[in-house]
Amino acid sequence: MTASRHSGWNSLLLSVLLAAPPAWAGTDDLAGPRYRIQGFAAQGLIGTTNNRFFGDSRDAASAEFTEAGLHGTWQPLDALRISGQALYRRAGESDEAGLRLDYAQADWQFYQSDVTRFGLRFGKVKLPYGLYNETRDVPFTRSGILLPQSVYVDNSRELLLAAPGAFLHGASVQKYGATDFQIGWVRPAFDSESVEYSFLGNARPGKLEGRGALGARLRWDLPTETTLMLTYADARGEYSPASGDLLAAGKVKFRNTLFTLQQRLDTLTLTAEYGEPRFTLSGFGPWLPDSQRHVQAAYLQGEWRFRPDWELMLRHDVFYRDQDDRNGRQFQAATGLPAHSMFAHDWTLGLRWDATPSLMLRAEYHHVNGTAWLPGPDNPDLINREQHWNMWLLQAAWRF
Amino acid sequence: MAHARFLLWQLIALALLASPFAASAGIIVHPSVEGRSISIASLRNIYTLRQTLWPNRQPIVIYVLPDDHPVHEAFAKETLGLYPYRLRQTWDRLSFSGMAGAPIEVKDENEMRARVRATPGAIGYTSKDTAYDGIKTLRLE
Repeated sequence: MTASRHSGWNSLLLSVLLAAPPAWAGTDDLAGPRYRIQGFAAQGLIGTTNNRFFGDSRDAASAEFTEAGLHGTWQPLDALRISGQALYRRAGESDEAGLRLDYAQADWQFYQSDVTRFGLRFGKVKLPYGLYNETRDVPFTRSGILLPQSVYVDNSRELLLAAPGAFLHGASVQKYGATDFQIGWVRPAFDSESVEYSFLGNARPGKLEGRGALGARLRWDLPTETTLMLTYADARGEYSPASGDLLAAGKVKFRNTLFTLQQRLDTLTLTAEYGEPRFTLSGFGPWLPDSQRHVQAAYLQGEWRFRPDWELMLRHDVFYRDQDDRNGRQFQAATGLPAHSMFAHDWTLGLRWDATPSLMLRAEYHHVNGTAWLPGPDNPDLINREQHWNMWLLQAAWRF
Repeated sequence: MAHARFLLWQLIALALLASPFAASAGIIVHPSVEGRSISIASLRNIYTLRQTLWPNRQPIVIYVLPDDHPVHEAFAKETLGLYPYRLRQTWDRLSFSGMAGAPIEVKDENEMRARVRATPGAIGYTSKDTAYDGIKTLRLE
């Protein structure tokens, strides 16, 4: 539960969005509506061995994974698009916030021709980060029930989702393919329990607040059905200790360059993303020494549409919390905590069935070695986490 | 000689049948749209939401049939060279992130024709390459 999420302007925008008249009211005139509403709702079922993921899933089935969204877009002028999404999400102990405003932005396209356009979007904006981040909560747009946890860590999702700020963007279509770029500045959201877990190792009594973040992404879609992408992110936050806090007023820094490559071959889609996020902590005092960690995160994924409405997915996902200590032995020697909390190797097999254009059913199996991205709030006891664990998931998703 | 000419005609007929333009959907637009033909590349850019304006800077309004409609499947695969599920992925990615509006879905070909006729800048497709009052048919180049 965070303060900013429920603060004034967020709830105001949320109520405006929910109070908007339905889209089908606008479809009566044949000329096409100026505003539209779309949405989705999904329920998951999760079972695990040895550790917990999104609720009480160990040797049981957890139904604490629910996603629902209402998305609206309104184009009052040809050059102005206003869009936003109200999101309901429950994910075990890691996300209990329920209903929230996911984003609300205005996009002003100040230059448009048939082959080139430039625009400025501002408000609480979606953050461009790799292939899937902007629609990570829309089940239909993901490659699995869960996204690769190395690159799209659900542990620090608040940081990557959306934030108040502005992005300049442009796109162009040419003979050599389509290119687009985004570059912008936001005030990132560090103030959530899960982000505190991943940066400060635990939930802390004080307040971790975002100071500023720079984000940029370049995308190039080649005529050969290849997509190349480069994402850069640099975010800073500051900690204000509570009274009697063990930690001093420290600073956190997150910097990442993420590479994306996707090749589409008929019914086959091959995707790889690679990043080396760098986490820096400074000024927290003796209880949390200054440190710099180079994470390594990568996955390789194949999706095969073997029938028009059936898809098989195989993925190998690798995550090291510290490039210089991949097996976690140094960490274990220094802290006495298990070495396997420094890495995670995940083999995933997934099946998707688009039963109708508006109903999708999915099944997924994970075989995991390591606990590096295990959600902290679901597994508060660091010692009792187990290195080898398996997970199965089922999900039904409906859209309109 | 006559036999050879017959064979040649057969070959031409076969080539016409096999070419994507003869078999697949007809592209229809509102009469306000300039030009008589459209390239496959432009059509792909329009239907993947990369091109949002006609060359005269009029906004493009895109109409589609449901994902599992046979005419949509034929249009996607044979004319655009893209599977319907790939189009849907592109539309979802851009519309849910607020970067573009997804094409407007209509329930059948009659509604498609009615909407294209009534909407300046509209583009759509039908199963037959026939002319209709108040709608312009574009030739694929």
